[in-house]
Amino acid sequence: MGEALVIRNLSKRFGGLQAVQDVSFSIQENETVALIGPNGAGKTTSFNLITGYHRPDSGSVSAFGREILGLKPHDICTHGLARTFQVAKPFGSMTVLANVMTGAFLRDKNAGVARDKAREAIEFVGLSAREQTPARDLTTIDQRRLEMARALATQPRLLLLDEVMAGLNPSEIDQAVALIGKLSQRGLTILIVEHVMRAIMAVARHIVVLDHGQKIAEGSPKEIVENPEVIRAYLGSGYVHAPTARAN
Amino acid sequence: MRGLSKWTLLSLAMLAAVLIALPLVVTSSFAIDIFIRVLLFSFIGVAWNLMGGYAKQLSLGHAAYFGLGAYTSTILQIDFGISPWIGMVAGGVVAMLASLPIGALCFRLRGPYFTIATIATAQVLMLIFLKFRDLAWGAEGTTIPNLGNAPLMMQFDAKAAYYYIALGLLTLGLVITYRIERSWMGYYLVAIGEDEDAAEAVGVNAPRIKRNIYLLSAFLTALAGTFYTQYIYFIDPNTAFSFNVSVEAALVSIVGGIGTLWGPVIGTVLLEATSALLQSWLGSSLGGVQLTVYSLILMAVILWRPTGLIGVMTEAYQRVAQRIARRNLARA
Repeated sequence: MGEALVIRNLSKRFGGLQAVQDVSFSIQENETVALIGPNGAGKTTSFNLITGYHRPDSGSVSAFGREILGLKPHDICTHGLARTFQVAKPFGSMTVLANVMTGAFLRDKNAGVARDKAREAIEFVGLSAREQTPARDLTTIDQRRLEMARALATQPRLLLLDEVMAGLNPSEIDQAVALIGKLSQRGLTILIVEHVMRAIMAVARHIVVLDHGQKIAEGSPKEIVENPEVIRAYLGSGYVHAPTARAN
Repeated sequence: MRGLSKWTLLSLAMLAAVLIALPLVVTSSFAIDIFIRVLLFSFIGVAWNLMGGYAKQLSLGHAAYFGLGAYTSTILQIDFGISPWIGMVAGGVVAMLASLPIGALCFRLRGPYFTIATIATAQVLMLIFLKFRDLAWGAEGTTIPNLGNAPLMMQFDAKAAYYYIALGLLTLGLVITYRIERSWMGYYLVAIGEDEDAAEAVGVNAPRIKRNIYLLSAFLTALAGTFYTQYIYFIDPNTAFSFNVSVEAALVSIVGGIGTLWGPVIGTVLLEATSALLQSWLGSSLGGVQLTVYSLILMAVILWRPTGLIGVMTEAYQRVAQRIARRNLARA
């Protein structure tokens, strides 16, 4: 098993704000890694740096052995890294099917082939009943499902999920956790930014904690919940991790 | 034309028959002139709609390409004796070449800033043709030498001939749009129009797609410019690079239904026909009234139906279809 993503000394400054400072971590292939930390810790900025939406001031990012720093977002997607957005960005006027076909066209420009692949991805996330619904009419969880299906249709090797659980109710979170478990079983490498701790505990094998743009801890879920600095910066002293059944 | 239902094919065939027969039945040159304008502006709308409608890059500078098409063919004809048929294609190529630097500059901007930049490009071109008299006749413009009936030089005695050329251009534009709409390109264009960042995230090379559709849109618009100059036998910077052309191109699409195949055609039929009829009925007695009524229609459409008239028609069609389906169900 090789390394899917290697991030070295990544830094980004916005004016007077050091959004990300000297962050390094790596992800093994077929591993699910969570990136956690308080609001403003630099999680989404890290995502944007990895996927080409921002240019880092320094550092390097390589995916599957190739340097991807400085590439445009669409090139990075072509290299097998697909992302979702913290605020879902569906193509509102398009149907669910058309949204996902847009993703599928990356690998095959034939509309028939793209339609079949899109249907497969839609079924995988459980949206088949909504195939002909305009994306803007979907509920929050269905929009998240759609974003995942659209990303999957590009046939990624590494999926970057930015707060896919935000705004979901507990039973929807369970569904989302199950879906991520299913993706991981399919052999996908996943990097997930999330605040919902019970979801993280259920899906992540490895956790990276950011605070004020710096990495303050990294380790297995068990190590992280017991790490005093993580408790101080993020989890809070009252945090007791309730054991969750791994959903899969 | 795979995938078209029998009914669609039949109605298309009927539409084609009516359009082809029209100048044989209607002989009034006033009516033919309106038809030609409707076809021409539909075509310009269709060309604009590829980029402005599907990809929502709201250009108000398409007069730049209309004018370049018009001037290229006219200069080639008058200075070099080259047929406007060739000049038309040459004008399209010149427009494409011009769209590259213009696009490279304007696409750095998004939203209203993009629109303003495109207005500027058309205005700058107009000024160039106004001020540089050695380039092309300056502000006076020039008339196209009348050669009588010379089909090879795109000059005809019969107005119907111009009608068929305009009809051919519109058909070309619609076929291109139809094919693009159904291909990956159509999906990519709409995706860019909806959310450029999200489109990039699924591997859409947004700058390249925008550049390519701009090339095509500019090319088609230039063909219209050549045709129009040949039709009115006159060219000057103010008509060739007229801001009205830019506005009309966008307006007919917006009124008819932005980002739809037939939207620009429906919009033009309504706007051009209304404005021509109002002009002839009210223009002489109550000067200016036709413009007021015209503006009121525009405001009504944009306020009540921002999706354009095609949205209204689709809804009505679906309602009727549902009612028929329900009735058939009840009978069975």
